Amino acid sequence: MLNIKTTMLAILICTSQQIISQSNNISGEVIDNTTGMAISNVVVGVINTNNITVTDENGLFHLSIKNTNEVKLIFSHISYINMEVKITPEIMKSPIIIKLEKDALNLGVIEIMGEKNIRTPFSIAKIDIKQLDETNLTDIGAVLAMEPNIGGVRKGATGIDPVVRGFKYSQVSVQLNDGTRIEGGCPNRMDPTASHININDISSISIYKGPFVLKYGSGFGGLIILETHKPIFYNKYENHISLILGGQTNQQGTRTGIRVVGGNSIISYLFSTNWNKYGDYTAGNGDIIKASSNNYNVVGGIGIRPASGHVINLSVDRSWGRNVDFPTLPMDERKDDTQIFQLSYLASNFKNSVNFIKVAAYYSDVNHVMDNKNRPFSDTVVAISSIHAIVNGGKVALNMDVFKGNLEFGSNFEQIRKDGNRDKQLIMQPNLPSITENLWNNAKINNLGIYAEYQKIINRLNWVIALRTDFNSAKSDPMLRVTKNGDLVYENTDTDSEYFNLSFSAGLSWQINLKSEINFSVGKGTRSPDMTERFIILLPVGYDPYDYLGNPKLLPENNHELDIGYTHDCTRSGYFNASVFFSYVTDYISAVILPPSQVKPQTSGVLGVKKFINIDEAYLYGFEILYNTPQKNKWQIKFNTAYTAGVNPTAIKYVYDNGEIIDEISIHNDPLPEIPPLESNIWFRYKFFKNRLTPEINIRMVAKQNKISKAYDEQNTPGFNLINFKVSYVYSQRLNINLGVNNIFDINYYEHLNRRIIGTHSPFYEPGRLFYTNLIINL
Amino acid sequence: MKIIYIITLGLLIIVSSCTDTNKKNVKYMATDAISAYNLQYLDSNNELIKTEIIPQSAQDKWSYSYIVDEGDIVYISGNYKDINSSLKIMILIDGKIFKQASNTADTLSYLTVSGTVPY
Repeated sequence: MLNIKTTMLAILICTSQQIISQSNNISGEVIDNTTGMAISNVVVGVINTNNITVTDENGLFHLSIKNTNEVKLIFSHISYINMEVKITPEIMKSPIIIKLEKDALNLGVIEIMGEKNIRTPFSIAKIDIKQLDETNLTDIGAVLAMEPNIGGVRKGATGIDPVVRGFKYSQVSVQLNDGTRIEGGCPNRMDPTASHININDISSISIYKGPFVLKYGSGFGGLIILETHKPIFYNKYENHISLILGGQTNQQGTRTGIRVVGGNSIISYLFSTNWNKYGDYTAGNGDIIKASSNNYNVVGGIGIRPASGHVINLSVDRSWGRNVDFPTLPMDERKDDTQIFQLSYLASNFKNSVNFIKVAAYYSDVNHVMDNKNRPFSDTVVAISSIHAIVNGGKVALNMDVFKGNLEFGSNFEQIRKDGNRDKQLIMQPNLPSITENLWNNAKINNLGIYAEYQKIINRLNWVIALRTDFNSAKSDPMLRVTKNGDLVYENTDTDSEYFNLSFSAGLSWQINLKSEINFSVGKGTRSPDMTERFIILLPVGYDPYDYLGNPKLLPENNHELDIGYTHDCTRSGYFNASVFFSYVTDYISAVILPPSQVKPQTSGVLGVKKFINIDEAYLYGFEILYNTPQKNKWQIKFNTAYTAGVNPTAIKYVYDNGEIIDEISIHNDPLPEIPPLESNIWFRYKFFKNRLTPEINIRMVAKQNKISKAYDEQNTPGFNLINFKVSYVYSQRLNINLGVNNIFDINYYEHLNRRIIGTHSPFYEPGRLFYTNLIINL
Repeated sequence: MKIIYIITLGLLIIVSSCTDTNKKNVKYMATDAISAYNLQYLDSNNELIKTEIIPQSAQDKWSYSYIVDEGDIVYISGNYKDINSSLKIMILIDGKIFKQASNTADTLSYLTVSGTVPY
């Protein structure tokens, strides 16, 4: 069945490597032909035997063979073209370097997003597909939260909303591929961008912390790019299939995904479909937590390569969510129908200074329906909200070499449209009266940006500068709320706003020696207010129990950030990285209470109405420290720790008595709300049987969070320690098996960013002990 | 190639079957009235139907059945003008009482039972 591919590259004999081979051993390194970077997880095997191994994270492998005569090896990796190599006894005596070529003949997307940026001074973290397959996680937000200084606001079964270094919601931009944006439907962000993509369709995730990368929009607190699988071109016609089957106890459920790719060097295709279904779970204290979900999707893609270096990609992703529980919110997701169309054209391989030209366009359409039918108050009022959110946009980019450096400039455009109503049926009243209320009223935001980024390496200095301007305009039909009797509650017809934003960044990395590097990044990112901050009409969308009112005249907020990092990467002592950051945010978007004489709350149980406003300033600071032992070791230890704090210098706390505000207290240096506490992780791993069997223990230590916002009535969260275990086994090139148990000691805990169960003070506890397994088949 | 087509077809069937929802049988019942009474109820088209029922005796039972999806609203409300009368209304889902209410000699208020079909 295995379709052996034509090898395209030569084997280079290298004597400079720190690899020593023996007469019956074959050692070497596998690297990317284009970038020269090591490739991990390449399956290396002697053809027609079961003798295989897997390259480590430095791309190194070591294979013992009984036959000292000529053997034939195959090198196989999901993202690269398979290579067969004859190894003669002479070659066995020396370490070898194998250069693999990317499976996709055109590398445009990866080059644009990944490889060129890896060497920038800006902070970047990458999560690859293998890491995703080894977990039981199907929520992309939960996967992101595995990274240091990234947390997630959790409100229900899915849709964890990433918090990067204390920045959250629209302060963190989550995009697909070439900048595709998705506007979620729910005002409470039960469906943030990442929730509309199935995790099985993700090939890698790039996380850029800070406001420094400006190619994808006005940076602010962070940028997360979700790369999805693309059609793959082959030298001759081939078809391949990948299958993942996963299941878990507790939140009992399954994940199923299949992906079929195929094509030749001219045309290729991709088809995938996935289905994840989970039930409720038991917390460590025995409580049953409502957390059911049911999501499925279908993706189709076509790639056309009319000439070498030119690729057109078209993809369609249809996804459906049904009956997803959000016990911390007033409503559950009843139905979510999303469609995403993406079209891109990449031209490269020019015979001049131009590296590539990229043109991309997209359309995302979210139909989101929520209701309160599983809430006690649905006995009297059944509320159903339907929201339609559309984003269309595109980008044009030109990348070229100028003055021995690399220049990229281009433009992005996006238009977001959002409209939604809440229908209330008063089911205990005669004649079944109903009320329809606007949540958004044909709101629209346009953003046109132009950017330029120039990078140059001079000796040991690698520097980059970037500049971006955005013209942002927004408008809505009148923001109007009336009672069922027709009495006016709130009206605002002055909804227009236009802003001209300027963002810039600069980065410098200084290579002290071959092993050590210092990075400096400084930048200012400006973000225009989002749909909710501008146009939401009286809905409890915040952390605290208030109806929130949008403010069309809200000003953009600005993040001025400084990052300093130090990296030491040595094959003997391991990899060490430490970074600190400081952010000074001006025109920080917060909210203040409006007096009842101005507008009365419309949701039962809330304390009043808050309106979004800009406050003068806020600041955030923190650090991240990482250490990995050398990848060549069989024993491996990985450690990270991260911390963020945020401060609002001039907060106001309102004092209530019997539902009435009786006093206002100014709080000096009030912590910003919803910032995760200090967290440390340690992983112990040992590689058995030529890297084929790898058990791993993870100890997760989360400190108590007592830096809480008094102004937002935030609550302390106790610290906790968890121990998780997993083992991955590479049975063959075609079959991988992962098993694991999370929360081995069934600890009862909850994250600081978990919201409280609606209508109670009860925390939203995380699952207790949970066993899982994943089976991955590649044919 | 065959195995690819077979597996793909299998997954497509799985996905296409995911949209099914559970159907349930709903029955509205009204009884105990000795004279005319008015009813309002949601019918199978989700429209509010208003009707007058004239019973022969208190043992007479009026009923209406239809099929619903989980999460659908079920609603029945009634009142009467005869101070000597009574009314009991019920909603049954798959043969089991979901909600019920009754009153006697109350000509002023509407008797209402309603809710959403549980998931």
